[in-house]
Amino acid sequence: MIIEIGHYALVLALATALILSVLPVIGARRGDAAMMALAPTGSLVLFALVTLSFGALTWAYVVSDFSVANVWENSHSLMPLIYKYSGVWGNHEGSMLLWLLILVFFSALVAVFGGNLPDTLRANVLAVQAWISTAFLLFILLTSNPFLRLDPAPAEGQDLNPVLQDFGLAVHPPLLYLGYVGFSVCFSFAVAALIEGRIDAAWARWVRPWTLAAWTFLTAGIAMGSYWAYYELGWGGWWFWDPVENASFMPWLAGTALLHSALVMEKREALKIWTVLLAIMTFSLSLLGTFLVRSGVLTSVHSFATDPTRGIFILCILAIFIGGAFVLFAWRAPMLKAGGIFAPISREGALVLNNLILTVATATVLTGTLYPLILETLTGEKISVGAPFFNMTFGLLMLPLLVAVPFGPVLAWKRGDLLGALQRLWVFAGLSMFAGLAFFYIQNGGPVLAIFGLALGFWGMIGALADLWYRGNFAKVGFSVGVKRLIGLPRSVFGTAIAHFGLGVTVLGIFAATTFGTETVVEMKQGASVDVGGYSLTYDGLRDAVGPNYTESRGHFAVSRGGVEVADVWSSKRLYTARRMPTTEAGILTFGLSQLYVSLGDAMEGGGMVVRIWWKPFILCIWGGALVMMAGGFVSLSDRRLRVGAPSRKAKPVKARLEAAE
Amino acid sequence: MVLWIILAALTAAVAAILILPFARATKAASADRAGEVAVYRDQLAELDRDRAQGLINAEEAEYARAEIGRRLLAAAGAGEAGETAAPKTRKHGLATAAVTLMPPVVGLCLYLALGNPGLPDQPLEARLANPGNNVALLVAKAERHLAENPNDGAGWDLLAPIYFRSMRLGDAELAYRNAIRILGPNPVRLAGLGETLVASNDGIVTEDARAAFEQAMKLDPDNPRSRFYVGLGFEQAGRAAEARAQFETIAKASPPDAPWMQLVNQHIARNGGTVVSGKGTAQALGNPSQADMAAAENMSQGDRQAMVRGMVDSLAERLKQDPNNLEGWVRLVRSYAVLGDKPKAEEALKSGLKQFPSSGELVALANEMGLAVEGVAQ
Amino acid sequence: MTRKQKRLAVIAGGMSFILVAVLLVMFAFSQSVAYFFMPADLAKADIKPGTRIRLGGLVAEGSVKRGQGSTVSFTVTDGTGNVPVTYTGILPDLFREGQGVVTEGAFDAASHGFVADSVLAKHDENYMPKEVADRLKKEGVWEDGKGSKGQANQGQTNQGQNTGAKGTATR
Repeated sequence: MIIEIGHYALVLALATALILSVLPVIGARRGDAAMMALAPTGSLVLFALVTLSFGALTWAYVVSDFSVANVWENSHSLMPLIYKYSGVWGNHEGSMLLWLLILVFFSALVAVFGGNLPDTLRANVLAVQAWISTAFLLFILLTSNPFLRLDPAPAEGQDLNPVLQDFGLAVHPPLLYLGYVGFSVCFSFAVAALIEGRIDAAWARWVRPWTLAAWTFLTAGIAMGSYWAYYELGWGGWWFWDPVENASFMPWLAGTALLHSALVMEKREALKIWTVLLAIMTFSLSLLGTFLVRSGVLTSVHSFATDPTRGIFILCILAIFIGGAFVLFAWRAPMLKAGGIFAPISREGALVLNNLILTVATATVLTGTLYPLILETLTGEKISVGAPFFNMTFGLLMLPLLVAVPFGPVLAWKRGDLLGALQRLWVFAGLSMFAGLAFFYIQNGGPVLAIFGLALGFWGMIGALADLWYRGNFAKVGFSVGVKRLIGLPRSVFGTAIAHFGLGVTVLGIFAATTFGTETVVEMKQGASVDVGGYSLTYDGLRDAVGPNYTESRGHFAVSRGGVEVADVWSSKRLYTARRMPTTEAGILTFGLSQLYVSLGDAMEGGGMVVRIWWKPFILCIWGGALVMMAGGFVSLSDRRLRVGAPSRKAKPVKARLEAAE
Repeated sequence: MVLWIILAALTAAVAAILILPFARATKAASADRAGEVAVYRDQLAELDRDRAQGLINAEEAEYARAEIGRRLLAAAGAGEAGETAAPKTRKHGLATAAVTLMPPVVGLCLYLALGNPGLPDQPLEARLANPGNNVALLVAKAERHLAENPNDGAGWDLLAPIYFRSMRLGDAELAYRNAIRILGPNPVRLAGLGETLVASNDGIVTEDARAAFEQAMKLDPDNPRSRFYVGLGFEQAGRAAEARAQFETIAKASPPDAPWMQLVNQHIARNGGTVVSGKGTAQALGNPSQADMAAAENMSQGDRQAMVRGMVDSLAERLKQDPNNLEGWVRLVRSYAVLGDKPKAEEALKSGLKQFPSSGELVALANEMGLAVEGVAQ
Repeated sequence: MTRKQKRLAVIAGGMSFILVAVLLVMFAFSQSVAYFFMPADLAKADIKPGTRIRLGGLVAEGSVKRGQGSTVSFTVTDGTGNVPVTYTGILPDLFREGQGVVTEGAFDAASHGFVADSVLAKHDENYMPKEVADRLKKEGVWEDGKGSKGQANQGQTNQGQNTGAKGTATR
C-alpha cells in the first residue's frame, strides 16, 4: 500500500505541477495576487508529494520489496543497509526520481526564501520551475516509472551493480544533482526575467546565491566523482574526458562563467544580455548532459540504460526547453537596456576575459564530445575523440585564464588605474616568462612545460593571497591594522580568494601528479620486492576471503622505506556472486598529499601475479583544491549582502538553506 | 479500500491547500520593487564602507554613487507608480475550478492506467515469515537460515536436491558437500553429489563423481543408480569389461520390469555383452524410440545424450517459468547444440536473447556453435 | 586611443582568441582522432602502420594467450575477419573470451599485428560496446530485443554514478 501511495503521490504531483505551470503566469500578467500566491504554496505541495513518493520507493528498497520491479532489478536482500538506501538512485528510474526531488526541492527553497523577490518575478520563476517539473514528471511516469510492480514477486533481487556498491554512490549523485539541478533556478530566473521583459542589477543579486550554491555543489560532485572513479576502478586515472564526465564538466565551466558575469551585472548593470544567455546555456548544458547520459547516443565507458524511447523523450524535453528559451531570448533580448561602460583594463574587463575563455573552452569540450555523434549521423563514420584532443585544446586554452586569475580581483572596477598599470607590467613579466619557457621548451622539450604548470599552480595560490594582502594594505598600514581591515571586508571577498586559491591547488596537483608520477607494471612472485617512488613494496602472497555478497582474493604487500616497514596494503580481486561480476579493489596508501596505488592484475603461470603500481605525488591536491573551491563557495554564500532585500524576513535564509541541503 | 480512502484524502488535501490562496482575502499587490530598492540601498552603504576603508578613491566612489543613485531612483519611481494602481478584487471561478478538478481527474486517470491498486506491499521479511507454497521463497528462507547456521546438516540435505532440480549445480554441489561433511556420507547424498558433478560436466563421469558413486556403492551395494554411474564411468573410460560387469550386476539384481532395465540392457549390449532377454524388456517402457534411435545412430554417445536430454528438457521447462537466468540460457543453448538439435538450440537462443538482448555471451556462443538468429542468415 | 578604437581592439582580441581556439580544435582533430574499425572493414580499408585506430569486435574463444610478463595476445573477430592483437598491461576485469571489446592502438609495421595501448570492456555482464553492437546487429549476428520487462539487466546503472561503472585499461 505504501508503494501505491507513493505512486499516486507522483501522479498527483503531475497534476499540481500542471496547475503551477499555468495559473501563476496568468496571475503575474494580470497582477492577480491570489493566482501569484498559488506559486509558493503549490511549490511546497509539489515538494511534499515528490518527497512522499521518493520516501515510498526508499522504503521499498529498505524492506526489499521485490514486488517492485525496480527494487528487484537493483537490490539484494543481503546488501548492507547503506547500499539499500543509495541503491534507490543507483539505477535509471530512481536517479531520475532523485533528479526530480532535487528540482522541486529548489522550487520549494525559492518559495520559502524568495520573500525578497517581487511577486511577479517569484510567480514566474516558480512557474518556469513547474514547467521543468512537469516535463520530468511525464518522463518518469511514462517512460521510466520506478513504481511498476511484479506479480508474483520474485524471491530474491538481482543485486546492485558491484561497482556501485560503494560509499561514493551514496554521496556523488546527490551532490552532482544538487549542482546540475541548482542551475535550473538560474534558468528559471532568466526565463522569468525575459517573460517580464525587465532585468536589472538587482536581478543579478537575486540570482547570485542560487548560482553560487549550484556551482559549489557541482564542484563537490565532480571532485567526488573523480575521486570515486580513481579509487574504485583500479586503474589509477582520475579524469578520462569521457562523454559522461564532459557532460558534468560543461555546466561547471558555463556556471563558473555565469558566476563571474553576474558579478559584473550586479555591480555595473553591464553584460545583461550575456548573463541571461549564460544562465540559459548553463542549464541547457545540464539538460544536454542528462540527455547524453540517458539516451546512450554516445559511446561511453560508463554504463547506463540505453533505451531509445527514453532518449527521444529527453531529446524532446531538451528541444522544447532550450529551443523555447532561445526563441524567447531572441525575441526579448533586444528590449533590454544596455548597462554601464568600462575600459578594457578593469575588473569588468578581467571578468569579460574570464567569460570569453571559459565559454570558448566549454565550446571546445562540447565540440569534442558531440563531434563523433555528428560525424556518425552525417557520414556514418565512427570515430573516438580521446584525452589527447582535450588536453591539446582545452588545456592550452585554459592556460591564459590561469595566468589571469590573480589579476582580476586586484583590478579596480570600471577603469584600472595606476595599480592597474603596475599590474599590466606584471602581465608583461608573466608573458616574457611564458615566452622564454616556450622558447626553452621548443629547444629542449620535456619538463619545462611542467615547471610552467607548477609555477602556474603556485601563481594561482600566491595570487589569491596577494589579493588579500592588497585589500588589507598590509604594506602601508602594518600587520595589526591590516588584519582589522581584512576582518571588515565582506565575506565574498574571502570566498573569491579561497576559491581562487583552491584552483591554484588543483592546478598544482594536476601538473605534479602527471609530471612526477610513475607507473610500474611488474610480475611479482611471493616475496618479490619492487621500488616505487622511494618506497619498497614486498608482495607476500594471496589470501582468500569472503564478504557479505562477494568472494575475493586479496594480495598483501608490505611497504617499507629505507629498510623500515612503514605500512602495508591490500589489493584484491573480487567476484560478486549474484551477478558473477569481477571487480578489482585497488590498495591505496596515503603519504601526506601523495599516494601509492596498487592494483592486482592476472595470475601468471608459476604462481606470480601481474601487479600495477602507481606513485602519485601530490595527487590529493587535485581534489583538495576542489574542496577548497567549495569552501570558498560556502564562504561567499554566507555573505550577508546576498540576503539583502528581504525587509520583513531577515531569517538567515541562505544559511538555513545550506543546512537543509547538506 | 483503505488505500482508496487514503488516496482520496491525499487528493482532497492537495486540492484544499491549492485553493487556499484564492480563499484568503486578496491583499493588495505588494510594492513591486521594494526588494530592488533595498538592494540598491545596500550597494550605496557598501560603497560608503569601501570609501571609508580607502579601498576606492573619491572620484571612483562618486561615479559609482551616481550610477547606483540613478538605478535607485528608477526603481523607487516605478514602485510608486505601480502602487498607485488600486488592487482589484477578482473572480477566480475558472481558476478555482481548475485547481479543484485537476488533482482528482489527472490523478485518477493516470493512476488507474499506471498503478496496481490491488497489489499489497510485499516486504521480504514478511514474505519469508509466511512463505506458503512458494518454492523460491522457501529456498530463500532456507538459505538465510543456513547463512546463519552453516552447520545445520539437515538444512543442507534438504536444499541440495532442490538446487539440483533447479539446475543451480554449483550450489547443489556445495550443499551436498556440506551435508556430507556435517552428517556424514550416506548413499543418497553421495549419489546426489555424484549426479550433480556429472551434470555440471555435461554428462561426463569425472574422477570426483566416480569416487562419490563408488563410496555410495560400498555403503549400499544394491543401489542401481550409483552402480549405473560407476559402470558408465568405466564405459566412458573405454574399460568395456568392467563396465559390462557393473551393468550385468544391475540387471541381475533388478526385477525385469524395472524402468531402468532398457537403458541397462543397451549398455550391456554396447559393452559387448548379450542382453538377458526378459519379458518384453524394451516394449514395456514408455517411449523408447528416441533413445533407440540415438543408440543406433551413435552408440558411444547415445545414453549420454539421453541422460543429458532429460536434464536439458527439465531446464527448458524451468526457464520457461523463470526466464531471468542468463547462465541457464547459455547452458540450454549449448546443450541443445551439443545434442545436435539445431532448431531447438536456435529457439532457445532466440528466447534467451529476448530476455538478455545485449548478452555478448549468447552471441559469442551462437557464433561458436554456428547458429543463426531468427531467420537471419549469418 | 579613442573609445571606439579601444572597443575595436577588444573585439579584435576576442575574435582572435576564438580564431585561435577554432584552429586549435581543427588541428587537434587532425592529430588525435581515432577511427573505428571492425576486423571485416580492415580488408577494404588501407590503414598504414602507425595510424591510430580503434578496433572493435568479439574476443575470439580460445584465443587469449598470456605471454611473458604482462603482455597478452588475443584475436578480435566479427565473424568474417580476425585480427591478432597484443597488449601490454592489465586487462579490464570484464575482459573475457566471447565478450565484446574495443581496443585502441596501431598496426605494427614489422609484425603486421595490432598493438593496442588501451582495451575497453564495460562493467556490465551483458556489455557490448555500442559500435560493436550496431555492426553485429546490421550483419544479423545479433538481434536487439524489444524494450520489454526483460530489460532488467539494462537499467542497472545510472549517470549518478557519473564516473561509476567503467572498465578500461590504459597502458
